Amino acid sequence: MFCSKKKLLEVERIVKANDREYNEKFQYADNRIHTSKYNILTFLPINLFEQFQRVANAYFLFLLILQLIPEISSLTWFTTIVPLVLVITMTAVKDATDDYFRHKSDNQVNNRQSEVIIDSKLQNEKWMNVKVGDIVKLENNQFVAADLLLLSSSEPHGLCYIETAELDGETNLKVRHALSVTSELGADISRLARFDGIVVCEAPNNKLDKFMGVLSWKDSKHSLDNQKIILRGCILRNTSWCFGMVIFAGPDTKLMQNSGKTKFKRTSIDRLMNTLVLWIFGFLVCLGIILAIGNSIWENQVGGQFRTFLFWSEGEKSSVFSGFLTFWSYIIILNTVVPISLYVSVEVIRLGHSYFINWDRKMYYSGKATPAEARTTTLNEELGQIEYIFSDKTGTLTQNIMTFKKCSINGKIYGEVHDDVERKKEITKKKESVDFSVRSQAKGTFQLFDHSLMESIKLGDPQVHEFLRLLALCHTVMSEENNAGQLIYQVQSPDEGALVTAARNFGFIFKSRTPETITIEELGTLVTYQLLAFLDFNNIRKRMSVIVRNPAGQIKLYSKGADTILFEKLHPSNEGLLSLTSDHLSEFAGEGLRTLAIAYRELDDKYFQEWHKMLEDANAAMDKRDERISGLYEEIESDLMLLGATAIEDKLQEGVIETVTSLSLANIKIWILTGDKQETAINIGYACNMLTDDMNDVFVISGNTAVEVREELRKAKENLFGQNRSFSNGHVVSENKQQLELDSVVEETITGDYALVINGHSLAHALESDVKKDLLELACLCKTVVCCRVTPLQKAQVVELVKKHRNAVTLAIGDGANDVSMIKSAHIGVGISGQEGLQAVLASDYSFAQFRYLQRLLLVHGRWSYFRMCKFLCYFFYKNFAFTLVHFWFGFFCGFSAQTVYDQWFITLFNIVYTSLPVLAMGIFDQDVSDQNSMDCPQLYEPGQLNLLFNKRKFFICVAHGIYTSLVLFFIPFGAFYNMVGEDGQHVADYQSFAVTMATSLVIVVSVQIALDTSYWTVINHVFIWGSIATYFSILFAMHSNGIYEVFPNQFPFVGNAWHSLNQKCIWLIILLTTVASVIPVVTFRFLKMHLYPSLSDQIRWWQKAQKKAKPTSRRRPQTRRSSSRRSGYSFAHQEGYGELITSGKNMRVKNPPPTSGLEKTLYNSTSWIENLCKKTTDTVNSFSQDKAVKL
Amino acid sequence: MEKEFQHHLSRMPENSAIKQQKLPAHRLHFSNQAIFTIFFATGAFCFCIGIILLLSAWKVQEIEINYTNICEDCAKMRENALNFDKQCTCSIPFNLQKTMKGDVYMYYKLYGFYQNLYRYVLSRSHNQLMGKDVRDVKDCAPFKVTSNKIPIAPCGAIANSMFNDTIILSYIRSTSEHIQVPMLKTGLTWWTDKYVKFQNPSFRNLSDHFVGTEKPPYWQEPIYELDTSDPGNNGFLNDDFIVWMRTAAFPTFKKLYRRLYRVKYFSDGLPAGNYTFDISYNFPVTKFQGEKAVILSTLTWNGGSSIFLGLAYTVTGVFLWMSSFALMAIQGKMRKKKLSHRR
Repeated sequence: MFCSKKKLLEVERIVKANDREYNEKFQYADNRIHTSKYNILTFLPINLFEQFQRVANAYFLFLLILQLIPEISSLTWFTTIVPLVLVITMTAVKDATDDYFRHKSDNQVNNRQSEVIIDSKLQNEKWMNVKVGDIVKLENNQFVAADLLLLSSSEPHGLCYIETAELDGETNLKVRHALSVTSELGADISRLARFDGIVVCEAPNNKLDKFMGVLSWKDSKHSLDNQKIILRGCILRNTSWCFGMVIFAGPDTKLMQNSGKTKFKRTSIDRLMNTLVLWIFGFLVCLGIILAIGNSIWENQVGGQFRTFLFWSEGEKSSVFSGFLTFWSYIIILNTVVPISLYVSVEVIRLGHSYFINWDRKMYYSGKATPAEARTTTLNEELGQIEYIFSDKTGTLTQNIMTFKKCSINGKIYGEVHDDVERKKEITKKKESVDFSVRSQAKGTFQLFDHSLMESIKLGDPQVHEFLRLLALCHTVMSEENNAGQLIYQVQSPDEGALVTAARNFGFIFKSRTPETITIEELGTLVTYQLLAFLDFNNIRKRMSVIVRNPAGQIKLYSKGADTILFEKLHPSNEGLLSLTSDHLSEFAGEGLRTLAIAYRELDDKYFQEWHKMLEDANAAMDKRDERISGLYEEIESDLMLLGATAIEDKLQEGVIETVTSLSLANIKIWILTGDKQETAINIGYACNMLTDDMNDVFVISGNTAVEVREELRKAKENLFGQNRSFSNGHVVSENKQQLELDSVVEETITGDYALVINGHSLAHALESDVKKDLLELACLCKTVVCCRVTPLQKAQVVELVKKHRNAVTLAIGDGANDVSMIKSAHIGVGISGQEGLQAVLASDYSFAQFRYLQRLLLVHGRWSYFRMCKFLCYFFYKNFAFTLVHFWFGFFCGFSAQTVYDQWFITLFNIVYTSLPVLAMGIFDQDVSDQNSMDCPQLYEPGQLNLLFNKRKFFICVAHGIYTSLVLFFIPFGAFYNMVGEDGQHVADYQSFAVTMATSLVIVVSVQIALDTSYWTVINHVFIWGSIATYFSILFAMHSNGIYEVFPNQFPFVGNAWHSLNQKCIWLIILLTTVASVIPVVTFRFLKMHLYPSLSDQIRWWQKAQKKAKPTSRRRPQTRRSSSRRSGYSFAHQEGYGELITSGKNMRVKNPPPTSGLEKTLYNSTSWIENLCKKTTDTVNSFSQDKAVKL
Repeated sequence: MEKEFQHHLSRMPENSAIKQQKLPAHRLHFSNQAIFTIFFATGAFCFCIGIILLLSAWKVQEIEINYTNICEDCAKMRENALNFDKQCTCSIPFNLQKTMKGDVYMYYKLYGFYQNLYRYVLSRSHNQLMGKDVRDVKDCAPFKVTSNKIPIAPCGAIANSMFNDTIILSYIRSTSEHIQVPMLKTGLTWWTDKYVKFQNPSFRNLSDHFVGTEKPPYWQEPIYELDTSDPGNNGFLNDDFIVWMRTAAFPTFKKLYRRLYRVKYFSDGLPAGNYTFDISYNFPVTKFQGEKAVILSTLTWNGGSSIFLGLAYTVTGVFLWMSSFALMAIQGKMRKKKLSHRR
């Protein structure tokens, strides 16, 4: 309450540096964070309050109170309180431990040390004591304590490098730089302490990529943007120190503002169960009312006279009042329809299923020694109902490893394995890879299986040399040497990393660069090139070039870029080579590789000088500067000579294609949500078969304004419906409200496959309320949806959109911190574990190491869980209706006096002891078809999506079944007892014998039913089912024994009953008849259903039986088609602006920074440093337009 | 390296059948033949049992005489509580056309008497009835103590409402020779009731042990005078009392009253002829619109088998056969359909 009030008030924030008193006026939040819910004092009341908010718990509490009223009590109090207390204590203990760990982590974070300038001195202070306005010193590899305004740093120009993995999941380094006025402050503590600038800025918000503010200092104002802010959660890298002023602290920081509240996730079965419990409660009330009215009438007609004769002589209660009391008494008796054991059993079953997930060896990834883990144990059956999967790309679908696979140089393909048999197979390790050991700087793991390239290099083929030289020269990579003397590349795009590394492995080693020179080692000799111009990359150009002068004085332009663009720039003499290379490119693309075309041009000195002058003029020009520059770039990048092309593989995770194919067969729609660029995303879409060339159309939405987006959506829709004329009528009619209903109709009428690609900035507009529905409608009609350049928040919004309007069960899978919000908001969040970042896993409900395990998680575990849970619920409701409703029938024969049919002990134990284990065993172990079947036949998954196994209809069938059984259970013994006499002439139609007969029949009927329901009889099922019956009889005889009666005569008044009743033949005849009569109709119905409407699993079981002797058929491997359209993309993961950074020399280090612990970590395993290098270099979430502003 | 390898191993889930969900199991799946066999067999079994039960039920000889209206005068008199100490007898002659062979049992049957009311069933003191403490009347509301606060023995509504008609069966060999049919008043109860559940405080001087208690308000004599002739049938051990205390499940019930003592004329059972029931009418039923009857009955192998069970079995058997034929027909049709589809 307090917080929200304050938020409302705060429209802008005014912070004065080094002036705590001034800032205190505004009551900004301090830097302490709370994620815990309770403390020692509040735990009990709050936790109990929360627990009793659950309908079920409140209901049982209410029942307990009823039972304590002697006038009403018709059951002893212990029947309810024992299980209730048990359940509540268990939950409370679990909550307490959870919260304890939250306290612990809060404390750990709050007590982290940071250096703060207090009283003109640098002092150590705990994080929680850092205040807004303080100036904080950060050191390399430290976590940032709060959102800071960067003042100064150890690096030139006030630059500092940060890693934002915790914020957005990107592990590449980002540059922040301080205002030049403040960067002059340096590390001078006294000057910093005197710094008294006032920052006026926006109020706390969750936008990670935006910041607006003004710093007023020394009578001048400086505008502040996101480039000057270091956010909490970042890690300082490659910068030995920096100073910053705290702007937002604690809960106001963007990190905390972004961390959505963990919602308590419930499964749809849970919700259905709650509804059903309410219905049942309503049903109970109805029964209670009927019986109460019955009681009133009975008291009036019969009981009145009876009373005076029998008892109640002193009481003059009215029949209406008696009816009122009876109502409550019956509520107590009939409450066993929904016993607490239902909730406990559901939890136990889910826990069991979770353990099966944890134990599954087929989801264990030996590469990283990571088993699958069910982190939430309450969602398992929802895994069997997934309709939409939202997948992150990098690290989830792809390994985020770029490997240089192939190249085409001067019309010759290198890197192809010319072995026809093994051609299409994975290259096995047996095959001898090219020996790079001659290269001192070669990287160990690099493998290229073609010796011909090495030979060409050795032979000195000039084209090949030029090709590799280009790769070593034309890039934005920074190099540095670590202590061990190893060369390390700082790449901002993993593609480039792969290319430069490839060149390095072939002997063209990029060594170092200055703003004016590039030094490379060419087959052992150091050559320094003069860097004359750097024609930077941008999205329109889709290429980059460098102009260098080699030691011989020749000026050359080296260019690499998207083939489509570059091919237009070629010299006409290249035609022959062009068509050859073009074929090669198509071939590469067909294999899902990313391609780049490589070309060069020799320039003569004079021409270059002229051009250079023009460029300088253009740079100095005030108007149309950009246009003029790009014109000049165009001019010089012409008449290029084609060298060849490269092919880089963005390695997919293992088995992604199979998994995707299999999941789509299971009718699950997969959407890719990625922060990456459109081209990359589309490429991956093609690579994993989600986009194919067979698709009728791929709609790309990339408008920048709301109007554009709307127009694009409309067009796409028109296009879609235009091709399906049959629908056109329906579309016109569709009203907003009918829209969603229509969707299903639409889906069926749409033929052909469509795909939708939408950009983050378009998505921002499309998610606005009025366009939202159009977007959703369109997206749902498409087979594949790819959202690129989306922010973490947008990911969550998309998930929410589908969740809310489609009413479908969603699953989000991702590996990075940027997926956290999506993982949290989807019904089920899955984290890829075994990676560096843990955020996704921590926020997830399930985690495993490889995307392909999703198939097993859903198709096997999810399906089984859903199947078992539904079977369990059906049986449980059936059982308890059969168990309880006999009281209702009995009511008509006992003057509606709330007499129970059974012994109190039987009522207490029935659900806990006599019938709990068999149904639990079924709920945990049952299998309708084997795991192999469900993997092979993804269609088996569909009943879960359609919610067929347990829904309201099924529930009513179960209830009807239960009611029927209760009728049989009651009226057969009733009829038989009516005139029955025992074998020795004694009457056996007494209440206690009746109770024993009923109880025994019930236990037997219910056990036979579970025996029929259990389709997978393991030893455990045998033990539990037979054991339950045995337990029933042993407990029955024990409780009816003489010994126990003599000790507790009041508690066990049924002495001798079991013995005498069960000695009678006719009692057994009754039990037998009851069993036959209640089971046979069920068998009949099932038989009919199986023959008339066989389900898929029935068919599979038949088929299995028929094929039992034959060997299991070979697994159907989903075919891995590759589309052949060429998708060149230099733009992948490349960011504009680095060229300028290089030429300006801003990011050049004077000296090598001391090795940092972070780097040491990455170097620890020297074989994998390239992986670290190429880690995640997804673009910033900024849109294109913002890219320009980012220029340094 | 080796250490790392072991580390990997330790995180690898165990390869046990239960953890991998590969427990050897039998998949329950009945073939059509099996289902038909089960149906036919069960049907045949039920049908046979049903016929046997019906036949044996028809063999049972039973005479029921409802004397509520026959003894109308007495009934009227009993409706007035003030006449509780007045005697009223009623004699009902009847003719037994066929000899009742074997053991003959005499029951009384009450209609519309709710012995299964919740509060009624609870209103008894097990401690008292076990003879542990005759003054323990804790659970006996509303018949715990008399108006003088003296505890009632036996307390509670059940005991208070005990059936107290006396029924004597006489055989009229000729108009002059009325022979009282010898009847046994013991052996009517379960062993556990007689020896565990109900115990007198002492075998001797029974009345002494009931000092300080009062007889139930509707009783005519105290508990220790129920059968003064037989100490084993007196007090809480009285068979009629025990039989009554075993409350009936339904408002219409019969309870064993006497067994035929097969001596002399009656060694083969009850010979055909004229009989009278001499009933001393004490138990008022018209007040609550109930009825009462006296029953003479023989037994068969499974007790006094009722027609209901036999009928139910027969019907179930027939139903099973019918449904199995129907299922076969449907299944055959489906198979034909499938075959034609294949073609």
